[in-house]
Amino acid sequence: MTRWLLLFILGVIAILMVSPLILTVFTSLKPTTELVNPPWAPPVNLTFEHYVRVWTEGGFSRYFFNTLVISTVDAVVMIVIASLAAYAMVFMEFRFKLLLQILFLIGLMIPVTAIVLPLFQIVRGFGLLNTHLGVILADLALAVSVFVFMFSSYFVGVPKALHEAARIDGATEFQIYRRVVMPIATPAVVTTALLEFLWSWNDLLLRLLLMTRDEMRTLSVGLLNFQGTMTRDVTGLSSGTVIMAIPVVLLFLFFQRHFVRGMTAGAVK
Amino acid sequence: MAGVDLINLSKAYGDTEVLHDINLSIADGEFIVFVGPSGCGKSTLLRMIAGLEKVTGGDLMIGDARANDLSPRKRNIAMVFQSYALYPQMTVAENMGFSLSLERRPKDEIAKKVQEAAETLKLGPYLDRKPGQLSGGQRQRVAIGRAIVRQPQVFLLDEPLSNLDAALRSETRVEISELHQRMKTTMIYVTHDQVEAMTMADRIVVLNGGYIEQVGGPMELYNTPATEFVAGFIGSPKMNFIKGRFAEAVGAKTLGVRPEHFTIGSGDNSWEGRVTLVERLGHDTILYVKVPDAGVLTVSLNGQHQQQVGDIVHLRPKAEFIHKFNDSGRPIAA
Ligand SMILES: Nc1ncnc2c1ncn2[C@@H]1O[C@H](COP(=O)(O)OP(=O)(O)OP(=O)(O)O)[C@@H](O)[C@H]1O
Ligand SMILES: [Mg+2]
Repeated sequence: MTRWLLLFILGVIAILMVSPLILTVFTSLKPTTELVNPPWAPPVNLTFEHYVRVWTEGGFSRYFFNTLVISTVDAVVMIVIASLAAYAMVFMEFRFKLLLQILFLIGLMIPVTAIVLPLFQIVRGFGLLNTHLGVILADLALAVSVFVFMFSSYFVGVPKALHEAARIDGATEFQIYRRVVMPIATPAVVTTALLEFLWSWNDLLLRLLLMTRDEMRTLSVGLLNFQGTMTRDVTGLSSGTVIMAIPVVLLFLFFQRHFVRGMTAGAVK
Repeated sequence: MAGVDLINLSKAYGDTEVLHDINLSIADGEFIVFVGPSGCGKSTLLRMIAGLEKVTGGDLMIGDARANDLSPRKRNIAMVFQSYALYPQMTVAENMGFSLSLERRPKDEIAKKVQEAAETLKLGPYLDRKPGQLSGGQRQRVAIGRAIVRQPQVFLLDEPLSNLDAALRSETRVEISELHQRMKTTMIYVTHDQVEAMTMADRIVVLNGGYIEQVGGPMELYNTPATEFVAGFIGSPKMNFIKGRFAEAVGAKTLGVRPEHFTIGSGDNSWEGRVTLVERLGHDTILYVKVPDAGVLTVSLNGQHQQQVGDIVHLRPKAEFIHKFNDSGRPIAA
């Protein structure tokens, strides 16, 4: 009985979660003439014209490429710097370690919106406005605390004796990092890659703020093009949204198993 | 290969000193065992030799070089950990060859050395497995294999057998002894099990509360313990310590008699007591005898005997084997 109740509740939640996506997909596939039908009516004559339009005229091929570059670089670089920093925090002794830990903690607590203005000035000061590098550096700096924290909580579970055995075997700290610790940190790596990629992929604020030139834009900013103050290109918006969602959905489907394990890895040691 | 010298070595964590003024000279090729109760500092001392703990006082010499400030990788030592500490993502062969691959030795040389070690340790069939797919005993051998592959100057082992069951433990004990005879490398072995110490060591170092109580061969420690602590720690079953009138009768504060140094039978100077428990081991019979004014004494008799719980027996310590200790726990010369 409780089982059925649970299934029912889960079912309702699932429908609530998925229905906007399904409606969006429906709309993106409808010819403009069918827009008078209610949004939950499936398309009668399937068409991909909106996708083609958005991809070519709408400039989404360019935006897609920009987003892909920024997000991939973000994710890869984040894995490297966050894991290196966490390794030092967990396995090495050095001066001012406590101070650094506190700084990382503070980094966890500051909301982006609170420092938008100084951030803008700094990026401008370095002459990095309207460059991908500027956005990437800002992304990394703002999120690095989170991932250092995540890698640390994973590394803490690695037996100290493993690190000691490697030192005695003659490994340098970097060799221990690369050949002993990182190979067993796959769940943390996958989680970092996915989360950072996703954040970077979906972020609007920083992109809007730091890149005003059209050829630099990302998908999230591109979507705004379909929304004027008076008009709204519903089909364009829908197909743009779907284009933006597809890579994320694929990634999650692909890495689901690792991802869940990584999320819980710190918790159960 | 090299010897190890500890000169006025001490170790403090913050303000608390846990090892005090350790002086010990370990000869090249010697098998040395550190024993002592839990918390006495055995592991700490071993880890200082390994370079995993900083030396906070005195000098540590490996071979002829002062090693106080050398990193572990410069000391050319190998260590077997209690938890084995095998690299989980590497195969057995990769685990054993890891140190050599760090030295960028040629692949075929590494393979050859790993193969040799694997044969010695009967690990041949498991070379491609991961540690997770091995039994505790096999993991233990891999840990030893990893240590011997690199032919270190000094071999350090921290309670390597404590995770094994009794049968496997005595088997592996013999293998480690054989290994030492073959390799003739200096070995420093930490255990809290005095049987392991007695059976394997050339010399035993008894530690207590951060001090060395005594250093000597197994029989030396057994026959002429330098302190009451050593007398009680070495030997199984444990030595009986008797205070009160029996001790005063021989002019000592404490009288020490090993369980195997009693004879049974009446006569003058015999102590009368009642048997409270009997353990029959086949080759030995162990009686627990309650003697007025002396407490419950352990008596180990060779062979099989008929005494029952409740029997009255007369014990006589063999005069030539008794140990007399003064107020400060030092032996009184006969
Ligand atoms: N990191 C540390 N900080 C403070 N004290 C420590 C530290 N490590 C060990 N000690 C202390 O040093 C003493 C010796 O510890 P050690 O681990 O060497 O004992 P041990 O003889 O190996 O005992 P066991 O047989 O239980 O392994 C203990 O009293 C312990 O509390
Ligand atoms: Mg210990």
